[in-house]
Amino acid sequence: MHPILRGFLDKWVYPTGFIGPGVDFRLRQTERCLPLWDKLVLQAIKAAGTDLASGSDEYKAARARGGYAAEGPFMSLKQMSTQILSVEISEQPKYIDLQRMRARQIWDEVKHGQLHADVMLRGGFIKREEDLMDDPRANTQPKLSYFGMTAMFPHIHPLARAGQHYYNESMACLGIAATLSVIKDDLIRHQLHSQSAEELMHFMEGKYQIDAYALTPADQKPIEEVFDFLLRPWAPEPSRALGGSA
Amino acid sequence: MCYVACREIEINAVVVAPTSQHFLEIDERCTYPGCTVCLMYCPAEGSIVETATGRSMVPPPPEVWTKNQRWPRFP
Repeated sequence: MHPILRGFLDKWVYPTGFIGPGVDFRLRQTERCLPLWDKLVLQAIKAAGTDLASGSDEYKAARARGGYAAEGPFMSLKQMSTQILSVEISEQPKYIDLQRMRARQIWDEVKHGQLHADVMLRGGFIKREEDLMDDPRANTQPKLSYFGMTAMFPHIHPLARAGQHYYNESMACLGIAATLSVIKDDLIRHQLHSQSAEELMHFMEGKYQIDAYALTPADQKPIEEVFDFLLRPWAPEPSRALGGSA
Repeated sequence: MCYVACREIEINAVVVAPTSQHFLEIDERCTYPGCTVCLMYCPAEGSIVETATGRSMVPPPPEVWTKNQRWPRFP
């Protein structure tokens, strides 16, 4: 196991405030995630090394465009706001804290989009943020398992989103830590450091939801099904998920 | 996250300060070291400090989340 993952587990994953079926369930799901978390760290380090070896600054723009596509205002407002719909009016008192966390996340994600735009602006790749609207690379992202499923998860169960928070936001934390271990560029580091605390907050949301609320088989099942989906090897690649071979 | 966890167990010791910056504060209702649940869900490294020693409690050291310190959480 890579030391970056080991450190993440010891600092943020294993410390537990409760005893009960929610914690037991989360730790079982964690075991399923470990191989892919470890793989992600290695891939992020390799990608950062490839970027540095390119001899060009284009990698900064490519990262920022991809980040803007995944977290810019277009994606964030459209996809993240649907999270709020997962809790019906009758369940609002029960899940009001969960709703507040998700409302906060909408703000966070839009801010992350601005960080990516800032890389593009300060790196001299664009003159105005609006220029990104003309670039498909800054407005499309191919991962089903990212926020693309947000439109579906809300209809499954109020807690289904916890699986995505736990798995995807941990990936964000790990990817950022792995990239920071390699890339020393100030522009990239500013963006990553500015984003990392909020990604950890989103991960904690998933951790807390599962520990505190996923106490019965009925509440655990929809979360486990989200993990089932996210852990499929084709989940990040829609063309394969839809039957293609690319 | 810390005030959410604290409220969930009905201690309510973590409060949002009525200042313009809305810092989180911990008041006399906190039963630390008997209860440490907030520490496990705080994502802000170094943001909670043990007064007596000055050591950071985030991320939480292993001795503050032993089994007897965790809250039972059952349906």
